[in-house]
Amino acid sequence: MKKLIIARKFFQLLFLGLFIYVIWSTTYPLNSAISPKLLFRLDPLIMFFTSLSIRQWIEGVSFSIIIVAFTLIFGRYVCGWICPVGTINDIIGIVNKNKWVLSPGLNANIIKLKFYILFIVSFLAILGIQAAWLLDPIVIFARFVSLNLIPASTFVIDKAFAFAIKNFELYGEFYDFYRYLSKNLLGIKIYFFENSESSLSIFLAIAIFPLLIPRLWCRALCPLGALFGIFSRFSIFQRVVNKCTDCKKCLNKCRMQAIKEDISYKKNECVLCMDCVYVCPVEGTSFKFNNKKQHFNPAKSKGTISRREFLYILFVSLPSLGFVNKKNKIDITEYKNVIRPPGVNNEAKFINTCVRCGNCMKVCITSGLHPILLKSGIEALWTPQLVPEIGYCENNCTLCGEVCPTKAIPELKLEQKKKEKLGLAIIDESICYPHSQGKQCIVCEEHCPVSDKAIKLKDTTIKLKNVTMNNGEVIKLPYVDKDLCVGCGICQNKCPVRPIRAIRVKGKL
Amino acid sequence: MNKLLYKLEAYLKMSVSRREFMKILIGGLVYFLSENQFLKFAFAKNSDAMPRVKKSIDCAHDLVAVKGLNSGKNVEKAIELLGGIEKFVKKGDVVLVKPNMAWDRSPEQAANTDPQVVATIVELCYKAGAKRVNVFDIPCNDDRRVYENSGIQKAAEEKGAKVYFADHWNVLKAKFPYKSAMEDWPIVRDAVVCDTFINVPVLKHHGLTGLTLSMKNLMGVCSGTRGLIHIDIAKKLVDLTDFINPDLTVIDATRVLTKNGPSGGSLKDVINLDTVIASTDPTLADTYACKLMKKDPMSVPYLKEAFERKFGKSNLEKSDIKELTI
Repeated sequence: MKKLIIARKFFQLLFLGLFIYVIWSTTYPLNSAISPKLLFRLDPLIMFFTSLSIRQWIEGVSFSIIIVAFTLIFGRYVCGWICPVGTINDIIGIVNKNKWVLSPGLNANIIKLKFYILFIVSFLAILGIQAAWLLDPIVIFARFVSLNLIPASTFVIDKAFAFAIKNFELYGEFYDFYRYLSKNLLGIKIYFFENSESSLSIFLAIAIFPLLIPRLWCRALCPLGALFGIFSRFSIFQRVVNKCTDCKKCLNKCRMQAIKEDISYKKNECVLCMDCVYVCPVEGTSFKFNNKKQHFNPAKSKGTISRREFLYILFVSLPSLGFVNKKNKIDITEYKNVIRPPGVNNEAKFINTCVRCGNCMKVCITSGLHPILLKSGIEALWTPQLVPEIGYCENNCTLCGEVCPTKAIPELKLEQKKKEKLGLAIIDESICYPHSQGKQCIVCEEHCPVSDKAIKLKDTTIKLKNVTMNNGEVIKLPYVDKDLCVGCGICQNKCPVRPIRAIRVKGKL
Repeated sequence: MNKLLYKLEAYLKMSVSRREFMKILIGGLVYFLSENQFLKFAFAKNSDAMPRVKKSIDCAHDLVAVKGLNSGKNVEKAIELLGGIEKFVKKGDVVLVKPNMAWDRSPEQAANTDPQVVATIVELCYKAGAKRVNVFDIPCNDDRRVYENSGIQKAAEEKGAKVYFADHWNVLKAKFPYKSAMEDWPIVRDAVVCDTFINVPVLKHHGLTGLTLSMKNLMGVCSGTRGLIHIDIAKKLVDLTDFINPDLTVIDATRVLTKNGPSGGSLKDVINLDTVIASTDPTLADTYACKLMKKDPMSVPYLKEAFERKFGKSNLEKSDIKELTI
């Protein structure tokens, strides 16, 4: 009985399921047992470096310190037993039984890469740029689940039911079941998030690696793994070899290639997968609390990055200083293209604080928040923007602020949020029905949620040069009150003019 | 894995003769053409609908207006005076109760129908032996928020009604016997395929039509780009009412929004009229509601249109109207 391996697999699947459950339940009315914020607040990489780069203590940092504290005892247990990306790596690895074993020299070189990445991230954080979001596995997987997996599975379920119901005329109990499903279980209304394919490609790359090399991502690139690796050097829960027949089975079996030729192991590489315990033919390997030095020479397993390499990284990461942006204050009089979620008033701070976890996009009740690519510069990749054509900002809703783990979107009271300006609606008089064609249309005014309407109507007699039919009639012309408009975008969402809407919201940035 | 790669490589390096190439080409073309046909076959089935046939019901009065502090009792009394719910709902009927729940507002803000009114109608329908009572609307705000905050979902489900979100794929295309701008407009299937249609609008202010009434409330069963209905709204709404033909119209004027409609939001704009109007004729009910708000019915575009087309009764003096105060 491989008790420890069964336990590991159980916990891996449990945490993977839990992870997907928490993200799936991040939707209105937000009543899941586990707060979606907690998921990311347990991640020391994004929490610590976000806190460092914005020079502010974020609530979640204390949570992540607990995780790191356990690392001091158990080593990289998170990578082997909890991390969903690690689990995905292991599951996909099952497909190919004969995976490559890298030569020790090559392996020693590629495992350094993750420390390079971690150093660059920390160096940038000290300078005030948060770059942890780019390669943090938790965030990558969370984005995959909320932007790709859940919308795609909703698409399949919806279409299958729609096909069955319409084609076989199952308008009875079966339709009721689908209605129950769509009301209570499928918490998302759209099947595709704009620009989510770029974020998906990173996840797919991670998922393809293990077909050839087991856990290549965890070994070579994962900065979170590197962070745990640094701390796990002090761990007291260690691998102990009592008997050895030099068969080197464990050496080839180890998914992290953490075992050296002399059967000692690199503590900062081991993810405690427990494979070596059971592969040993003489059952001489075990994991124990052990404070003593092992029989191998400790000098050999010292830090994996030399001083020269450190200086080299420092030098290489200097050009990234170009990303320090100057958009510290936004001039509200000038409205541009990107509409940020409510409460975001400092673009530079927002980009630094946002960890791109995709929580706000998943939770947005109208699914109006979508990741952007390069609209606001490369440093703002995958940050949320409001796309009013797809979904507007619901006036009585504060969900996005409630789920943001780093408070990049501030948690506002409802009264305060209603006053928050996202942008300004501007009527395009060249295509608007009443303005350009003299037809009655008040859809934008009708939907305006501000109590004293921000879009007002003015009775006007039509005098249009190119329209002769309705000339002379009195119709209602809409116009926008700049002081009252909050830029929620419902007018753009409901405007009947196609393909370009006649009323469009300009963001503050 | 290696085997797979080898097979893939062998497949890619395979030589193709002219005959095989033609086969692939024709096969591909047939696939693309037939796929389209398959989708049409699967999803475009039975999608045309002729206008709903209205039940011919002899009522005790043309219109009943009941004033009283309890909106639920008002409804009960009004329907009783019309001749009882049994006239509208037969045993085993599928009933659609279509309230106005379009906005994410609380009942006090008067943008949606009073939940008490909807709940009472649902209860009456079940008492008359209805098999199933459906309640839905296509809201303007997000449906999850609207259903919950308007209080209608909770009140109606307590009485046993099925409250659900309308699916935009489950629609029928409206066909008219005469030329209409609403031709081919997608209308939710359950609104057309039902035995009894009870329209339960709320009386409130509207920017374009002056008042939102029973005819305007029927827009809630239309899918598609509903904004386009606002262009030439009078003709389209009368056509739509002619298509749906609600059997019973119950206008809720318990709380009335007088300004900043139809969404409202401020409690300052709300006045209490504590009245419920019930009639089988939507035009008559709307005209009476205009009188209640001291507004000229001819200033409401679709009532003017209905008057010109002689759609329903527009003359209050010639109709049999029963007014009652509890």
